[in-house]
Amino acid sequence: MRATDQIQRLPKTVASRLLLLLLLLAGSCHEKEEYPDDAMGNLELLWTIIDRHYCYLEEKGIDWDSIGRVYKSRIHPEITYGEYFDLCASMLNELRDGHVNLSSQWDTSRYAKWWTDYPQDFDLRTLQEYYLDFDYRQTSGIMYKIFTDPDSIGYMRYASFSSTIGETNLDYILSQMEGCKGIIIDIRNNGGGAMTNIRTLVSRFIKEKTLAGYMRHKTGPGHGDFSDPYPIEYEPADSRRVRYDGPIAVLTNRSCFSAANDFVAVMKTLPQAKIVGARTGGGGGLPFSSELPIGWAVRFSACPVTDVEGIDIEEGIDPSPGCECHSPAEALASGRDPILDFALQLLSTS
Amino acid sequence: MTAESGVTTYFSRPIRRNCLRMGLIVLACLIRTISISAEDLRPVSSIYGLQFGGISAYSTYLSPLTYTGTVFGVYGNWQKALPFSPDNAIMEFDTSVKGGTMLNPPATARMVDLDFSLSWGMAYRKRLPYNLQATAGGDLRVDGGMLWLTRNGNNPVAARAYPDIAAKGSLSWHLSIGRLPILIADEVRIPVAGLFFSPAYGETYYEIYLGNRSGLVHFGYPGNHFTLSNLFTVNLDFGRTAMQIGYRLETDTSWCNNINTHIYRNMLVIGVIPGGLGLKNKNKNCNHARY
Repeated sequence: MRATDQIQRLPKTVASRLLLLLLLLAGSCHEKEEYPDDAMGNLELLWTIIDRHYCYLEEKGIDWDSIGRVYKSRIHPEITYGEYFDLCASMLNELRDGHVNLSSQWDTSRYAKWWTDYPQDFDLRTLQEYYLDFDYRQTSGIMYKIFTDPDSIGYMRYASFSSTIGETNLDYILSQMEGCKGIIIDIRNNGGGAMTNIRTLVSRFIKEKTLAGYMRHKTGPGHGDFSDPYPIEYEPADSRRVRYDGPIAVLTNRSCFSAANDFVAVMKTLPQAKIVGARTGGGGGLPFSSELPIGWAVRFSACPVTDVEGIDIEEGIDPSPGCECHSPAEALASGRDPILDFALQLLSTS
Repeated sequence: MTAESGVTTYFSRPIRRNCLRMGLIVLACLIRTISISAEDLRPVSSIYGLQFGGISAYSTYLSPLTYTGTVFGVYGNWQKALPFSPDNAIMEFDTSVKGGTMLNPPATARMVDLDFSLSWGMAYRKRLPYNLQATAGGDLRVDGGMLWLTRNGNNPVAARAYPDIAAKGSLSWHLSIGRLPILIADEVRIPVAGLFFSPAYGETYYEIYLGNRSGLVHFGYPGNHFTLSNLFTVNLDFGRTAMQIGYRLETDTSWCNNINTHIYRNMLVIGVIPGGLGLKNKNKNCNHARY
């Protein structure tokens, strides 16, 4: 009787086990999300990418649902490719983020109000002609000179964090400036680049492991799904490398963005460094990339970075107290750079 | 006279050379004898081949689009009968290296796939009626590789790294067309458990580089990481050598940290089996590892 029961139950047991196996398999074979390559499909996907991955929707108080409804309603059957690109770019500009771009075959959209709405506070020609006398050295993307009148003060201009800094090149530059009363690091108009160059540069000005800030990442598609802040720490350069522990002035303007902004956040924590000039442009989010069925690429902030106090640096960093100054266009046109003058004075009297 | 020259006079050079030759001959005979007896009892068969075909990849860490393209690779397989039961138990090494290149649907971006795998397994072999043979067993595999979306910035790569344990089985049928022995075989491999690497949903490799390594390694089972490999082959045994022609299907899907990944490869395989399959010598009681 028992054997008969077992035989009768056998098909059910096998079926239930197969069902369990299928359920297990179904978990990993998660369905692909497909979006049609038409005007609505592309806009829907663009909206979804930002909705799920963009990291500042809550911080900036952006009603992304409402923005999506407005822009989707603007699609009409006769829309041209150019109009459609502009429509998508306008929707992205609602994020007010210089790290957000839409790239097509003929254009790359950008949000530029983080610097266009503010004075430039810098002119390369004025610097080269009236301060450097067109006589300076340049290596690893760093233009440098030692001012000798009245005091010996080193000057380094690093125009882009995309230029890889060679350790040996930096050794040479800093060894030239070893006896200087102070060093000016001019990063005005530096739009960012690789964060690894921040590490290279900062490591020459610290004596011990230094907390530079925190980074978070999204853990899911929800607007508030974030990991715990992870500390960004920099180690001092190897003892064989040339280091400098004298006073430093970092010159900034509104065009300091992304990695340059991160660099300022770190340097501001060093006791021997002052941030001189104007508030930076921001760009505190590490960008991610994605794309649309139409073939366009989209870039957006995905991982927010904060300073050591946990304060967001997306909207920029103020100069050190008492060090805010500007270089108006009139002054620059007459051959004066008040931000640089301020830094020279600051280091001379330090 | 130095000590060295004294040695030279004690064993003259021709005698020393002859001793060396004799020693080498004896050693060679010994190795040959051992290898012959080992091959008789535990024959080894190997396959070396090329594989090429189509690939499609979808990884939401990199892109919401499915990329398609071509894949090319090489593979090798070594089977050996086990000493404790040379007729029923076999040991197997398997390795492959593959590379693929793909485009997105509008052909505006390129993705590269690289994959390497190495596995070692054992199987029980059962000869069945009607020239059929079945094997069932398992293997341990290490697989590594990546999908690289060349235009991405801070999320350029979806890296793969997973050791796993798999169930493996095959069914083969030996027949002859004219005087040509043929072996038709199908082999399936399904991992049941393992470990695999996955960054978090929006985690950059820069953060991992900074040192945040928590939550990168996951326990894999068919519910969150399902891979399947099926190889269907027709093996033509010419006696001293055999040729393998077939079709390999590989699927690799995972759902982890809200990241959806689907990789499918459909490949033709063409291989050479040095020494043949031993099917021509079947009547001479050949105990070949592969059949």
